[in-house]
Amino acid sequence: MVSPGTRTWSIGEALAAPFRRLSSDQQRWLILTLVVIGALVFPLIDRNEGDIDAAANATAFAVLALGLNIVVGLAGLLDLGYAAFFAIGAYFYGVTSSWQLHPEWSSFWEPFQWLGVVAHYQAMGENVVHFTLSFWIAMPLAALVAAFFGVLFGAPTLRLRGDYLAIVTLGFGEIVPIVVRNWPTLTNGAMGLNGVQAPSLFGYSFGVTSSPYYYLGVALIAFLIFVSSRLKESRVGRAWMAIREDEIAAGAMGVNRVKLKLLAFAIGAGFAGATGTFYVAKLQTATPDMFMFPVSVMILVMIVLGGMGSVYGVVLAAVILQLLQSWFLQDLSGWLHVLGRAVGNDWMQQIDLTQSIELIFGIILVLMMLYRRQGLIPATRATKALTLEQQTALPSRGTIDVDLRVVAPGELKPGTAMLEVEKLLKTFGGITAVKDVDLRVEPGSIVALIGPNGSGKTTLFNLITGMNAPDRGRISLLGEDITGLPSHLIVERGIARTFQNLRLFSNMTVLENILVGQHSHTKTGAVGAVLHTHAMLAEERETREHALEILSIFGNRLMPRLNQVAKELSYANRRRLEIARALASRPKILLLDEPTAGMNPAETIELAHQIKSLRGMGLTVFLIEHKLNVVNELADKILVLDHGEKIAEGTAEQVHAKPEVLEAYLGRKVAHA
Amino acid sequence: MLEFHDVDTYYGELHVLKRVNYDIKQGEIVCLLGGNASGKSTTMKTVLGLVKPRAGTVVYEGEPINNMPTAERVRRGIAPVPEARRLFPRMSVLENLEMGAFTRNDSNGIAEDLERVYQLFPRVKERLKQQAGTLSGGEQQMVAIGRALMARPRLLCMDEPSMGLSPAFVEQVFEIIQSINKQGTTIFVVEQNASMALSIAHRGFVLQTGEVVLSGTAKSLLENEMLKKTYLGEMEH
Amino acid sequence: MTFQDVLIQQVINGVSLGAIYSLLALGFTMVYGIIELINFAHFNVFMVGSFIAMYILQALGLNGQNVILTGFSLVGVLVVALVGTMLLSGALGVLIERTALRPLRGVPGTAAMITTIGVSYILFNIVLLTIGADAFNFPNPMPTVRWGEAGVVLQLREVLVWVVAFLLMACLNYFVRRTKMGKAMQATAQDQEAARMMGVEVDRVVMITFFLGSALAGAAGLIFGLYYNYTNFAIGYTAGLRAFTAAVLGGIGNIPGAMLGGIIIGLIESLGGQLLEVRWTDVIIFSVLVLVLVFRPTGLFGRATAARS
Repeated sequence: MVSPGTRTWSIGEALAAPFRRLSSDQQRWLILTLVVIGALVFPLIDRNEGDIDAAANATAFAVLALGLNIVVGLAGLLDLGYAAFFAIGAYFYGVTSSWQLHPEWSSFWEPFQWLGVVAHYQAMGENVVHFTLSFWIAMPLAALVAAFFGVLFGAPTLRLRGDYLAIVTLGFGEIVPIVVRNWPTLTNGAMGLNGVQAPSLFGYSFGVTSSPYYYLGVALIAFLIFVSSRLKESRVGRAWMAIREDEIAAGAMGVNRVKLKLLAFAIGAGFAGATGTFYVAKLQTATPDMFMFPVSVMILVMIVLGGMGSVYGVVLAAVILQLLQSWFLQDLSGWLHVLGRAVGNDWMQQIDLTQSIELIFGIILVLMMLYRRQGLIPATRATKALTLEQQTALPSRGTIDVDLRVVAPGELKPGTAMLEVEKLLKTFGGITAVKDVDLRVEPGSIVALIGPNGSGKTTLFNLITGMNAPDRGRISLLGEDITGLPSHLIVERGIARTFQNLRLFSNMTVLENILVGQHSHTKTGAVGAVLHTHAMLAEERETREHALEILSIFGNRLMPRLNQVAKELSYANRRRLEIARALASRPKILLLDEPTAGMNPAETIELAHQIKSLRGMGLTVFLIEHKLNVVNELADKILVLDHGEKIAEGTAEQVHAKPEVLEAYLGRKVAHA
Repeated sequence: MLEFHDVDTYYGELHVLKRVNYDIKQGEIVCLLGGNASGKSTTMKTVLGLVKPRAGTVVYEGEPINNMPTAERVRRGIAPVPEARRLFPRMSVLENLEMGAFTRNDSNGIAEDLERVYQLFPRVKERLKQQAGTLSGGEQQMVAIGRALMARPRLLCMDEPSMGLSPAFVEQVFEIIQSINKQGTTIFVVEQNASMALSIAHRGFVLQTGEVVLSGTAKSLLENEMLKKTYLGEMEH
Repeated sequence: MTFQDVLIQQVINGVSLGAIYSLLALGFTMVYGIIELINFAHFNVFMVGSFIAMYILQALGLNGQNVILTGFSLVGVLVVALVGTMLLSGALGVLIERTALRPLRGVPGTAAMITTIGVSYILFNIVLLTIGADAFNFPNPMPTVRWGEAGVVLQLREVLVWVVAFLLMACLNYFVRRTKMGKAMQATAQDQEAARMMGVEVDRVVMITFFLGSALAGAAGLIFGLYYNYTNFAIGYTAGLRAFTAAVLGGIGNIPGAMLGGIIIGLIESLGGQLLEVRWTDVIIFSVLVLVLVFRPTGLFGRATAARS
């Protein structure tokens, strides 16, 4: 049976067919090329100055949205005062390239005149300085100034919950326009700056026509897309994602959270500052009202609509909202007026839908959060998958040839413990969790920590790895005091850990998890990531190779699942992945918190063998374990903790012979029965 | 009194309980043994309705309760002593006890039960005004048990009552569990301290990676070779 | 007027302003205490509340400052307006919670916070588009009663603000500390899952929290109107940022902290405005916010809600 609709459907189908035959990569390139061509020829086709002007303004907001996307989308920091940085950039250029400031001329200004930053103006009895900073110099400078303010205001909040950042940025967004308004000597107050000089390029001044600004805006968008994408697919981007997924685990993998958050904040603010320069150059004026809270919200709406972290989604949303504002709502209002006149309805004749744009913003925010949190174009996977060849080129089994030795045997001073803990004390409220514990872990040994639940084992691990600060006592690694260091520095020193309740980056792939694990011994910064420097590419290659090496320890358990998202793994594989991630940091000593919990006997035995082989590869292991058969099989030394106190230490036989241990485990009655 | 029929529970994507069956009869002490992450606490949460099974039925006093909200379960006599006690740290001991009777409106009955808790735990009575967060671990456990008793439960669900307690106090707790049971309350206790738990329980189940791998009378479990190996055996030699 | 008189006068003004901020900060801090959500919609509930109060007073036959009442009729009218405003504002809060926020319970990250920004925008713009951007003359039936000489003047409106704010806070304090539902709120704030295990219906507790917080915001809207004799679509934003600061100052989630924080912010505003210039008030308040966050992130009377654990 042929339904009436089939015919039209097949036409669409026929048109789409060649497109479908392309690979998804090719499809992406095709769409991108078409969009780029469309963007470039648009002002040539549509010769309406108003349209081009609207489009040029739209580019400014798209650039802002891309900048904020780095802060909110990639690093997960909700910044509600983004317009403040936009304002800072705008006023920076506005003041340095207009008549707003015109101090008396003196010889002080001569070097600046030579640099072309100021001009000497003498006429009608005046002898003053005219600031004429070039747009092209002002733009990067404005970015730096805005980034500085970003760091200044982000810093106090970054150690706190993310919510505080939202409040402080909101306040900051409020304060900047107030300062601008209240400082008329610098900014001309509420009246705004006037006569800001237009940029010129190779002697051609941009003037007041919109097209050059439009093309400059498109170039800025392209630049930001490029920067965002490269950042996203780098060590820096992965660290941001890790922070967003699980801050504590990110710290435990060596990510310096404060530094990376500030970096995101500074980059975002810098782009806003640069955009401010562009915007004020285009308008050739700036007033405080242009940078109020609604602007920050509009940019946020663009990100929410497009998809947090999604570079193309954000641009699409910026375009949609701008079209809605400058075209669709106006036309719709016009049609309603016509209709109103036709039916004689006064209300319809007066309606102005452009005023309801903020209402629409509000509705978009609520609806998107309720029904489509990932946005119109959800963010794509950041890390490129390995090809099949890369995966299969490596052995799927064979754990022997991986060398995990970080400390050369010669470097070890005899008698130095790998890890030494002295008189460690920690209390929470009324409860002493760890009480004057002393312990030593010798290099190359496996030490097991046992004790009933709640006896302080995990707290001890938390103290050693810097998750909590001890009240008293000393922790040293190979003789170096590491007490009280933050967790990311402790990983750097060579202590890696896993967590009892698993703290994987659940929405990142197996490979990405392991790449984050290598954060502490890799170096690529934001600049390297964007420029794809030689060192950066080499490092990326090396980290991937190391990741595969680490994965090979677990045979074919994880290797085929390299590109699977961590939350889709089986429980046992998640445990393995957590160990792999810790190993990736090239630790001297590995702390495992109940590595076999939740595993069945076969899996437990397999993992026990793998842990044993880690020692063979040169690693020191300190583990908490409940399964005594595992402990007895693996451990060179067993420590027993009860009520935060070490009650026994020694080999399996020695420990088991102690009546205190039996009591702790079995209760007095049973132990003596 | 409480039955699980082929219950499957998930946390997100993770399959935690796999077609699990339990039955607990009126007046029994039943213990649930297993390693960490084997599904013990999830069992407790399923009983209390904090997580809902994806398949299977939970039956309480002859009635399926899969979709019954937690509050209603508490009202019908299921009371928890949660893992790690979970007192309200900035409320006084007395307020914590009163929270246990949250679903009740019979002020006379509540006063009676308060007296009963004081008799059971004279130490608690001395500390009524103190903030619960400042108590020692043992005292917190007493308050947690007292708080559960304030619901006048018919089924008491205890999640690792021995956790973090000194051996002497663990014994005391287990004696108290026995005496509560003798007064007619059915007890379902999750424990890691297997031999201690089995020494007071009537029956037990052993959970491993979300499946019941062993069940039977406490006596038979104490003598079971596999259990000896994993939980008891190694230590006694 | 001596300098001392000026100071005393500014303290009187500051405490009155502060009382309004306190009422506003309370709803914010209560919701944060229970579900750790910064509710940006709260301050526009306050703005809507002041319009509700205005319409109720107009419905009672008051217009502008023409009708002056005394004695029982004054108290009666004010009580009716207060109760009506609180009920309707509370209902608005519950509506917001049910429709926009409950579906997002348990969604990690900033989704719920962003939703409240959206709701705040919707409220703000609905009022702007339907009622308009004018400043409305707020009906005020209070006679002009003054105590004191030329130097320090205490007016009836200030006494009213103090009395209403004090009574509401006392009621709230009683409710939270003494009633069963209040205890359930405290328990939920301290350990949500444990509260659930005790049979507390957390959804209901959240709903009641929103009701109470929004009702208090509505009350603040009424006394704002009576104090300033006007209302306007934009009052939520300015007052909101100050109430935020008040709540952070008192330690977010801490109820007595919010009350005191509000008074402190009110005093900073009036004294700061006196000693410096009014146009810098917001900058001063914001600086206080940043300084508190840097040096005492848990607030002046706070407890540890700061670090994500």
